[in-house]
Formats: sequence, structure tokens, C-alpha cells
Amino acid sequence: MALAFDEYGRPFIIVRDQEQKTRLRGIDAQKAHISAGKAVARILRTSLGPKGMDKMLQSPDGDVTITNDGATILEQMDVDNQIAKLMVELSRSQDYEIGDGTTGVVVMAGALLEQAERLLERGVHPIRVAEGYEMASRISVEHLENIAQKFVFDATNIEPLVQTCMTTLSSKIVNRCKRPLAEIAVKAVVAVADLERRDVNLDLIKVEGKVGGKLEDTELINGIIVDKDMSHPQMPKQIRNAKIAILTCPFEPPKPKTKHKVDIDSVEKFQTLRLQEQKYFDDMVQKCKDVGATLVICQWGFDDEANHLLMHRNLPAVRWVGGVELELIAIATGGRIVPRFQELTAEKLGKAGLVREKSFGTTKERMLYIEECANSRAVTIFIRGGNKMMIEETKRSIHDALCVARNLIRNNSIVYGGGSAEIACSIAVEAAADRYPGVEQYAIRAFADALDSIPMALAENSGLQPIETLSAVKSQQIKENNSYFGIDCNDVGTNDMCKQNVFETLIGKQQQILLATQVVKMILKIDDIISPSDF
Amino acid sequence: MANMMQPQIILLKEGTDTSQGKPQIISNINACTGIADVVRTTLGPRGMDKLIHDEKGNATISNDGATIMKLLDVVHPAAKILVDIAKSQDSEVGDGTTTVVLFAGEFLKEAKPFIEDGVHSQSLIRSFRAASNLAISKIKELAVSIEGKSMEEKKSLLAKCAATTLSSKLIGGEKEFFASMVVDSVISIGNDDRLNMIGIKKVPGGTMRDSFLVDGVAFKKTFSYAGFEQQPKKFLNPKMLLLNIELELKSEKENAEIRLSDPLQYQSIVDAEWNIIYDKLDKCVQSGAKIVLSRLAIGDLATQYFADRDVFCAGRVTEEDLQRVAAASGGTVQTSVNNVIDEVLGTCEVFEERQVGNERFNIFSGCPSGRTATIVLRGGADQFIEEAERSLHDAIMIVRRALKNSTVVAGGGAIDMAISRYLWEHARKIAGKAQLFINFIILKGIRGMWPARSSPFRQSPGSNSQPKLVCTPRAFLVLPYLIVQPKCEEGHLMVIPRQLCDNAGFDATDVLNKLRQKHALPSGEGARYGVDINTGGIIDTFANFVWEPAVVKINAINAATEAACLILSVDETVKNPKSESAQGDAAAGAMGRGRGGAGFRGRGRGMRRR
Repeated sequence: MALAFDEYGRPFIIVRDQEQKTRLRGIDAQKAHISAGKAVARILRTSLGPKGMDKMLQSPDGDVTITNDGATILEQMDVDNQIAKLMVELSRSQDYEIGDGTTGVVVMAGALLEQAERLLERGVHPIRVAEGYEMASRISVEHLENIAQKFVFDATNIEPLVQTCMTTLSSKIVNRCKRPLAEIAVKAVVAVADLERRDVNLDLIKVEGKVGGKLEDTELINGIIVDKDMSHPQMPKQIRNAKIAILTCPFEPPKPKTKHKVDIDSVEKFQTLRLQEQKYFDDMVQKCKDVGATLVICQWGFDDEANHLLMHRNLPAVRWVGGVELELIAIATGGRIVPRFQELTAEKLGKAGLVREKSFGTTKERMLYIEECANSRAVTIFIRGGNKMMIEETKRSIHDALCVARNLIRNNSIVYGGGSAEIACSIAVEAAADRYPGVEQYAIRAFADALDSIPMALAENSGLQPIETLSAVKSQQIKENNSYFGIDCNDVGTNDMCKQNVFETLIGKQQQILLATQVVKMILKIDDIISPSDF
Repeated sequence: MANMMQPQIILLKEGTDTSQGKPQIISNINACTGIADVVRTTLGPRGMDKLIHDEKGNATISNDGATIMKLLDVVHPAAKILVDIAKSQDSEVGDGTTTVVLFAGEFLKEAKPFIEDGVHSQSLIRSFRAASNLAISKIKELAVSIEGKSMEEKKSLLAKCAATTLSSKLIGGEKEFFASMVVDSVISIGNDDRLNMIGIKKVPGGTMRDSFLVDGVAFKKTFSYAGFEQQPKKFLNPKMLLLNIELELKSEKENAEIRLSDPLQYQSIVDAEWNIIYDKLDKCVQSGAKIVLSRLAIGDLATQYFADRDVFCAGRVTEEDLQRVAAASGGTVQTSVNNVIDEVLGTCEVFEERQVGNERFNIFSGCPSGRTATIVLRGGADQFIEEAERSLHDAIMIVRRALKNSTVVAGGGAIDMAISRYLWEHARKIAGKAQLFINFIILKGIRGMWPARSSPFRQSPGSNSQPKLVCTPRAFLVLPYLIVQPKCEEGHLMVIPRQLCDNAGFDATDVLNKLRQKHALPSGEGARYGVDINTGGIIDTFANFVWEPAVVKINAINAATEAACLILSVDETVKNPKSESAQGDAAAGAMGRGRGGAGFRGRGRGMRRR
């Protein structure tokens, strides 16, 4: 910050630690921001599209992540620059809201910043640029609305949903089995969706992974998988038509919460106490038996005495099941969580067609499958894969696909992918620009150019000639007045995204454009950075 | 202290910094103008934002004067006064924090030449006070009351005020959207002062447009235990029980101890404890409530119990949210479940758990008493939402102010120009000394009008040459008054329109001249003309609904005058040395004077200005 001097030429301090603070203002500040934002976008640019590359990220404690999900990459990069952090948050909020398109939104913001830089160099006031962008973003959002199509689907006809999810998955490492994965994701979402309220609670979909096997072994289970096994090795490994008691109380003599002490002053009393304890165990097991339970799932543990007793009475049991899983089991099996043995009744038992313990390959690890549940409002996606990184990446990809399916249930409009929507918007914005007087016109045109950068990056990543391809597609769109044409990333031989079945959700696309514009506006609006100089 | 021969009398502890006299006033003024310069560019619809890091690495992006001032961490004693007035404006009116700092900075800047020329600062102070009184009376005269209009009309008028405030903020692009949201929420809480009845919830993700207003309460899903998902998530016209007790299995008395001599009684103790909690739960259900909310924990047992009986529950609801639910639903928060009668149960039209961004939200809407509102803000980044919240806070304050004190004035610098002209005219009518005062104000006005200094986004090179032309009249005016009294506050007031133009990227000189011409029309019809931010021309801002509540301007002028007078009246600072020389160069040089310059440009004399 500038120093002030008094009458005697002494500098005086206005702000604490003035010397240690740096201040960047005016056009320099904006330039610095723009280059930071662009740098982030450049990193993600190569990850865009079906032929996009993955990034390997190593965390400080040595964990390696390989992904091409924009939000994950940025999250793990641990950026320090404030503007770069804004870009990270941009991608994160796209992730929160839509779950997909996290790379695209950053690339878009980067392109907008790049275009803004040029305008700033020509002396356009940054706020005018921001306003122009805002107008343009409205134009494109409206245009998207126009070119969007309604997808008709219901619980039985899920094909359109699958197609859209496939588009999302095609850019991921798992694209070799995108069809089965897309089907799994859609079925899972449809199973838990409340179609009337158009609400999907993704918490009800459990995504579980286990190293081993191959990606093709990934399956959707109409029920729950728990990473637990029977409490006693001799208990049966498979139970048909199981009636499940879901307990949150331990198989132990109950303890009052109030401090207590039992005075034992004679042998008889000690005997009674022991007997009573035994009776407790006995009663507990008996109660479970009485209501007809054939399997006990318990949130807490039980000691060997209880375990033995359960084994003895032929009542299989699982212990130490976490609260979330317990809840999912309760939802899936239609049972109720029972906090006390006294409350146990036959109605509160959950029902599952098949409960089995399954071991994997040569390892000793086993998992408990609870399948064929009465009510399939909670489902599990069980992912198999060659290594941990693969599983993690598959989980993220599945998450994206789940989000896409959810968005479609919320709003069933789609636009065509492969950059076709961006190209169509670019054309519309370009055309609209001429109607605006004033400096904003330039900013609107710049916005159109920025929109082009997405198909451009797609083409680049697919090994095509970016400029040639883009101009060809663009002219085709205008000539045939058809917004289906996009970049043929997979070299199928047609540019018609409708035929290629490449779809994206309308809200996802709109969100991308709005969010990118919003963040760029915020960045452009800053003309002063005051920071401690070690930043 | 030039005479080194005489033994020095040491009065104060070594290292104490004393400065006094005229130079002290000047240096205080310099410090204040330095601070004012920081916020200068944030004014107006095209104002810029500041990004400020603190030591911990948190960054704030803001356009709000008070926030910026607070974060600047000002240590200079005189400059701190400006921070204080920004804060007081914030707490008093809630908006116009940048304006007040700019006013004060400009008043001081105009006073500086006079001080340098030897005018006594008390004279300046007196004229400042006089001018500010005149200005305020003029505002009151020009203000238009919106009292007595129908509710509908009032609503749209209030929305105009809110929109004017919001237009300078990051969310300016959606100002109509937010303005109506703000007005609705303020109107719904009615006339009482409980501002905390408007809840603002921030959810990252989505765009600004996804923000929404709930005519009731909304809060994030609280921590829940197993069994929660089995509860119903939607009710129509449910009854709500609001509690402030724990529904958990726990020891009833902290330091009680039970001694059993007969092991057979063991079970009875266990049962007794369970019965207590079951009894409580049973009473909750018996009351007929379908929704149970508690400020304290609702344990897993209770969660499952309620799930079994199709009751929704949420524990650990924050105090504020619970109060809002109580106010909205007409219920009362109970500290016991005994004797729950129908009157204490609240209700609402629709309760629903809904997905908002990545979170699940409990939303109670259509509440009968309707005395609360919740704004759920969405935005692409945390900083963005933070800033949006600050902006909405400003707008809410403005609307509340306008509701209570229903007079508005034209914004966009129009009112400032009008005052400027008024003061100018007034000055000429006063005989003698007083005229000098007012002229002082005029002078300030003139100087303030020329943007050559300190306009970071000056667009036309032409504006550079203009001030020279103006120098002559200014000099004319100044000379006679130099002897006597202060300059003009008027000039100060012109700082607002000028800054508006500068920030918008227009040629301030050109626009100001047009404005002056309009305002100088004898008919007075031009009094509502201000800067048109969209085209770079001038416009009747009143007719175009750029409105500000009069109280904002009045308070700003008052506070700024106070601050300026305060700073002008200080002629000596005694600063005790910091215990651990917090200021890098605090070590006083010889005799507490003449230190410093070494690291910079030598200890040059004559570097009076920055």
C-alpha cells in the first residue's frame, strides 16, 4: 500500500503491518486474476470429453488418485491462490448441484477469462465486460431452453435415462462397460426415486467397492451389502426367507445410565446375580426366537457368552453393523429398528428373500448380502475392479451417472452433447450481439467465442483438427438449422448427436453457463487485492 | 527542539511519539484520504470489489464499505475514526457505508488547503457543521414520502429502494429478483424489530437465480440417528411440538447413585429409567404433534420410536431456527412434555424435506402467523454467497428503514448534486463571515467536481486538462475567503456523482457538467437528475426509480461531518510506544521526530503530499 508522509517527511502507518502487505490494484489485479484462472482451466482442459486424459494426483500422505473428474482433480490439487480457489469452488458447486459437468464448467470459465483479458487490453471497463457476459449468458440459457427436448420415460421405460448416463460415463475410465454401468445407475435411481415428488435421495443408494474381480462383475443389488460376517463361524452361511431383527441394543445385561452399585455381601447374593445375568442372555435370545426372527443384526457387539448361546439356539447373528447401514437395512427390508428387546414384535422384523455370506476369491474376506428384500427403496451398487484406484474412480463415475439420472427425474429435458449445445448457443449469442448497442456488444461476442472453446477442446482431445472441425460443424448447424450437430469424438462417422445418442441434461448445461459467468463476473469485479506478502 | 545546547526536558517516556500542530492535522488528513481512496472504487452500480486476505489466509471479496474497512485492520488513530463511522453507519442504517467514508475523506481533503493556508480549524469545523445542517434540511425538503400508499404500491416502492442498494453489489444482475425477495421477507416480519426473524441460509452450488424465499422457516437437516430415514418426510398441516429438552436415554440426576442390595431389583431400576424416557416420548406422540423439534439432542431411541409412529423429529435445532419456527408456527417452545396442550403446538401448511444443492433441507412453509421468512441463498462459491449475504443484509436494512421512515430521495448522485447547488446558492445569500463558510462549501464543490485527481479508471485523457480551466474561478473564490473561513462542503458532496461516473467507466467531467447544468436550472426541475449508469448520460433518477431512503443520506452526512470535525479538531497525538514494537519502525528517532524516511526516499522535507 502506498505510504503516506506527514509534514516532516516521516512515513506513517495507517494499516497494521503495512510493509508486509502487498496491494495489487487496477488493471494489474485483473490481469493477475485472469492468469490464475486460466492456469487452472488449462490443467483441466485435457480431461474434457470421451477422449480426455486422466490426472494422477498424489496427496501429502502418499495416496494416489487417478481421475478425470474435474471436481476431484481440483479438490486434490490443494491450490493456494485465491482466484484458483474460486475456480475450485466453482467446480465443487457444479458437483453439488448437478454432479456432472465439473470439468466443462471450469474450461468454460477459463475461456471467458481469456476473452475478457483481450477486451481489457483494449481498454474496456471490466464491469462492462461482466455485464456483457451476463446478458450473453441469459441469451444462451434461453436458447438452450429452445433447443432442449423432453424425454419421456417412466419406471418401466428407462432407455432414455440409460442413454444419457452413458454419455456421462463415456468420458470416464470405465467407458468400456458404460452400458451395464449406466443401466445399474439408472435402475438404482429409479428404485429409490419418489417419482411423484420428483425427489431422489441419493443417500439411499449405497456404493460399495471391493478390490478383485473385474469391472464387468459390478452389480446392482436390490438390497444391502455389509462388510461383515456372521458372528460365529459355525452359523449358517445362507438363510432363505430371513426374518431379521434389527437391534440397537447389545446382547448384554442392561445397565442403568445412573451411577449404581450392587452390594454383594453374601455368597447367595452373588449366585443370584450370576443367575440373573445368565437369565438375561437367555431371555434376550428367547425373545428373538419367540417373535420368529431367523437373523439378528446388531449395532453393538456381544460377548462370547451371548455368541455361544445364539449359536446354540441356532440364531445367526451379525454384530457391529454401523448406524447408517443399519438404517439402510431397515429401509430395504421394511423392518423397524428396535432399541430394546421388550419392544421386539413380529411386525418389526425385516424380511429378506435371501441373506448369504459370500467370500471373494482366495481371500478370507467375506461380505454379507441381504437380497430380495421386501421393499427395494434402498439399493447397493457393488463395484469390483482390479485395484483400489480403479474402484475409487468407478465410484466417482457412478456418482456422476447417478446424479445425471436424478437430474433427469427432476427435469426431463435434455440437450445434445458433443459440444453441439455450446455451438448452438454460440451461434445464437453471436447473432444476438449485433442488437446490443455499446461496449457490451463486444463482450457478448467474446462470450460466443468462449462458448466455442468447449467443442474446440473436445476436438483437440479427440485428436481432430480443432479449428477445421469446429468450423465445419458450425456451418453445418447453420446450414441445416439443426442444433444436433456436434463433434464426432468417437469417430463414429456422423456428426449428428441425436443418432449417436449423446445427451446431456438441460439443467446441467444451463448451470454450467450460469455458474461460469457468475464466477467470472466476480473475478472481473475485483480491482484491489490486499494480502500479507507471503501469499 | 533545534537548540541542542539546552538540556532537554524529557516529559514523556522514551519512544513516545508526539506530533502536534498543523502538521499533525495535515498528516491525519492524509491518513484519512488514504483510507477513503481504498473504498473509493467500490461506489455505485459499476463499483469494483476488493479481495482482502487476512493473516490466516482467509479471503473476503466484498463491495461493502464497512466490511472492507473492518478487514483493512487500520491502526492509524485518526484513520480509525473513519472505520468507526463506517461501522456506525452500518449498524444505524445498514447501507451507505462507502458513501459515509467517501464523504468524510472528501471533506477532509477539501479542508487541507485551508489548513495549509492558515485557516483555523475551528472555523472550518463551524462551517462544516453549518453546511451539514443546511444539507440535511435540504434533503428533508426534497424527500418524497411514500407514506399512506396501499400495501401493493408500497411494496413496489420499497422494492425500488432495495434494488438501488443491490445494484452496486455482486448480485446486481438479479436485483429485481432479490429486491422483491427482500421486500417480501421484511414485510412478512412486520413492524417489530426482531431482525433475526429473517433467516439467511447459505447453500453452495447453483446460481443466484436458484435462491428462494420461504414464507416460513428452513434449516439444514440436523444430525440424525438411525431410523430417521424411515420417518415420513412430508406433511400437510401438521402440528408441531417444539421442545427444549433432551429426548435421550440418560441418567436423570448427574450425581445420584443407586445402591442395590438385592440383585433381583436390578431390572426394576433399568425399567424405571426406560419408563421415564418412554413416558416422555409417549406424551410427545399423545399431544397429536406430527413434527417434534428440539434444541437439544433427540437420541436414537427417540428417533426410532417416532419413526414407528410416523412422526418426524429433528434434534439439535439451533436456537435461532427454533425461535423462528416458534414465531412462524404460533407454537411455544416447551421445556417439559407434561401438560402439552393444543395451544402450544404450532402448525404450518406444508412441511417437507427437500434437496437443496448437496444438502437436505427441512422446509416449513405457509405458516399461519407469517412473521418469519427465510432466504435460502445459492451461489457458485463460498465467497460469493458470503458477499451476497452482506448485500442482502444491506438491502434488508434499507427496506426496514424505508418502512419506518418512509421518505425517499433520488439516487444516482442526484440528491448530492441538488445539495451542492443549494449550498452554493445559500452561500451567496449570507452576509459576512457566514458567507465565507458557505462559500467554503462551494469551493469544495468545485474542486470535487473535477475528476483529474484520484480517478483510477479515468477514460478520457481530456479530463486531465479540464481542471486547469477551473483553477481560475476556484482561485478567485478562494482568495477572499482564505483569510476568513472554510471552503465548501458542497464540493464534497459532488464526490458522489463524480465517483459514480468514474467507476462506471464514463467521462466524469462530461457527465458532471451536464448534471450541473440541469441542477442549475432556476426552475428547480433538474433537482432529480443523476448519473445514468447505463448510457453514460444523465437521467431523472427519481422517475427511473433509483431511490434511496432519505435517512441513509442524512445519516451519512451527519456521521461524515462529525468525523471530519473530530479529525480537524485534533492537533496533537501522543502515542505511547508499543510494548513489543508492533509497528515495524516504531523505534522513535532522535527526539521523536524526523525518523522514518531513511528506508524510503531520504528524509525529504517538502514531501507533504503523498
